[in-house]
Amino acid sequence: MSFIEKIGYFAISLAKSFTDIFFFAGIILRRMLRRKTYSSAMRTVLVNQIYFTSVQILPVFLVVSIIFGSLLIGIVFQLLKGLGLTEFFGNVLMGLIVTELSPFFTVLLITLRSGSAINTEIAVMKVNGEIKTLETFRIDVIDYLLVPRVINGVASLVLLSSLFSVVLMFSGILFSNIIFGIGIDAYTNILLNSANFSDIVIALLKCAIFGFFATVIPIRSGLSASNELTSIPIAVSGGMVNVFTAIMIIEVLSLITKLF
Amino acid sequence: MTHNVQAATVSVDLPLISNQEVWMNISLIKQYHENMPLAQAHDIAIAALQRLGLEHIAFKRNPSLNNEERFGVMLLRAVMVRDAIVIIDRPFKIIPHLNKINFFLDTLKKIEDFYINCHIYDYKWMEERYGELCP
Amino acid sequence: MSISREFKVGLFIVLTTIVILLSLLYLAYEKGFFEKVFTFTLSSKSGDGFTEGMPVVFSGFNIGKVHALELNDKGIVLIRIKIPERHVKWVKQDSSFILYRPLIGASRIIVTTTNLHSPQLPERKIPEVDIVNDINDVITKVPPLIEKITLIASNLETLSNNLANPKGDFNRVLSNVAKVTENLDNILKKVDKIADKTDAQLFGKDGTLPQVNNILKDIVGKLEKLNTTVDNINKISQEASEGVKDFHILRSDIDDTVNAVNDVVNRLDDLISSKKEPEFKVP
Repeated sequence: MSFIEKIGYFAISLAKSFTDIFFFAGIILRRMLRRKTYSSAMRTVLVNQIYFTSVQILPVFLVVSIIFGSLLIGIVFQLLKGLGLTEFFGNVLMGLIVTELSPFFTVLLITLRSGSAINTEIAVMKVNGEIKTLETFRIDVIDYLLVPRVINGVASLVLLSSLFSVVLMFSGILFSNIIFGIGIDAYTNILLNSANFSDIVIALLKCAIFGFFATVIPIRSGLSASNELTSIPIAVSGGMVNVFTAIMIIEVLSLITKLF
Repeated sequence: MTHNVQAATVSVDLPLISNQEVWMNISLIKQYHENMPLAQAHDIAIAALQRLGLEHIAFKRNPSLNNEERFGVMLLRAVMVRDAIVIIDRPFKIIPHLNKINFFLDTLKKIEDFYINCHIYDYKWMEERYGELCP
Repeated sequence: MSISREFKVGLFIVLTTIVILLSLLYLAYEKGFFEKVFTFTLSSKSGDGFTEGMPVVFSGFNIGKVHALELNDKGIVLIRIKIPERHVKWVKQDSSFILYRPLIGASRIIVTTTNLHSPQLPERKIPEVDIVNDINDVITKVPPLIEKITLIASNLETLSNNLANPKGDFNRVLSNVAKVTENLDNILKKVDKIADKTDAQLFGKDGTLPQVNNILKDIVGKLEKLNTTVDNINKISQEASEGVKDFHILRSDIDDTVNAVNDVVNRLDDLISSKKEPEFKVP
């Protein structure tokens, strides 16, 4: 294969996987908006998914966000103080931590924990013939298996990321009060001045998109497993790399929207 | 036979869903096909398991079942299909150590009100294990 | 099973949603979404620097923002600001309004109220906004400064080029000067020695004085050559206006030396002719 051919091959396969994912995402999105999808069985799966993704890790998540958040706020504040830019503290907190860092942190967590699990789970079910079983019993795989996972991804990311931001702001009060002696009034005033509804809406939207793709991509790649056991690791690693790429693309796109 | 009969297959090629407990494998059919609430479907599944004396495995998962238990659960899952015509595909592949059909027939008899009809398919050379069913 | 999974999940969703909604509501409340808002109108001769949404600040705290900008029939810019009810108390009849445009950071309208007991600003009264303009003040000062800097920079460039060139005029002058001073030193020592000798030696027929005279005259000739060199350098470096001062100083130093030596020669001439003054001193 010549070099040019290689480039062409790469471009075609890239375009194929993009259209494939978007087509698949379109199908799932359509099903999400259909009332019939929400059967009792699907709701049971949804509850379980949310339980495993969000509720089970909640204590760890809260502890991590309190520790991480207070340290981060402390460092940011010290840095700004050192540079004499204390008046931009609020902008950094709202513009950087709430709208950028917390979705990113949460999507990484969800992808590492749940994305990989979903990817493996679907690949194993495929190899094991369980997907075929469901089809034989006239159970729609997309409705029953996939949609609840995607909804869970969106809901968990939005909820956890918001929770992270709120917890961070609260631990910021304590931290800046104890260490730097900033009063609660001054702190809230700083935050309120730089809080912006459109920023928050964009951040929530970004969380939802993150959650959608952080689950759709692993599912798609899990379904791409063949009937051999050895195809499972291939499907999982490929899926995780794709999720990571997608996260980066979404992040870059959201940064671009911020520029305008 | 009514119009709405549906085939419900029991086969070694259609395994139980391994990441769900036994009772959920059974209640799933009712929940999905009839949109039955979880609690009600749960009760039906447990009651059905009791009919086969298998209620103790309700919260186990597929890998920890023995062959007889696995067959029982697969059969119960099949009869949960409304107006089911149960099709048992090569039963001796599911429980290979049996050499008489009696166990299957006994099990079917215990829950015969759950289904309309039952067909068993197998290879010709397995004839002798079926005894008087294949004269 | 004490608490069902469904309950836990439900609780999580409900509580988290409540927390999020409360935060958003708090934000909305603090931002004054639910409050009665007062509108005041300010005026300014120019709309420069005003933007919609610009904050209105009292003692460093945001109390409102610019809602709209209009141009009235008389060509005066009307600035409508919205102040939520709880902040209205800071805006009084004798409040002054200043548009502050800092060099770094967002511009804002600063409200200063010296007498908080004065009556509230009526909504129909239109006070004028003063403009404090860091940026423009700085900008008007910048062009002349830049001109000066450019001039200095170009001078520095020529100067340093001259200085750096080992065959350049400046370096040649320096080495010449070094030679001259060396010569001078020698000569002066000789002169001193001569001076120490007795009159007889000095004024003898084949005494040293005529010789000294000749030598000194020779030096004067040489120094005059040096003068022309320095003049040349002056011509070259006239462009480097500031740097040239040094050359002038150098030049005048050389002139002084030449004058001093001339002086000595003259005196010697006098001495030889009069033979009356027994002693003299070299400068």
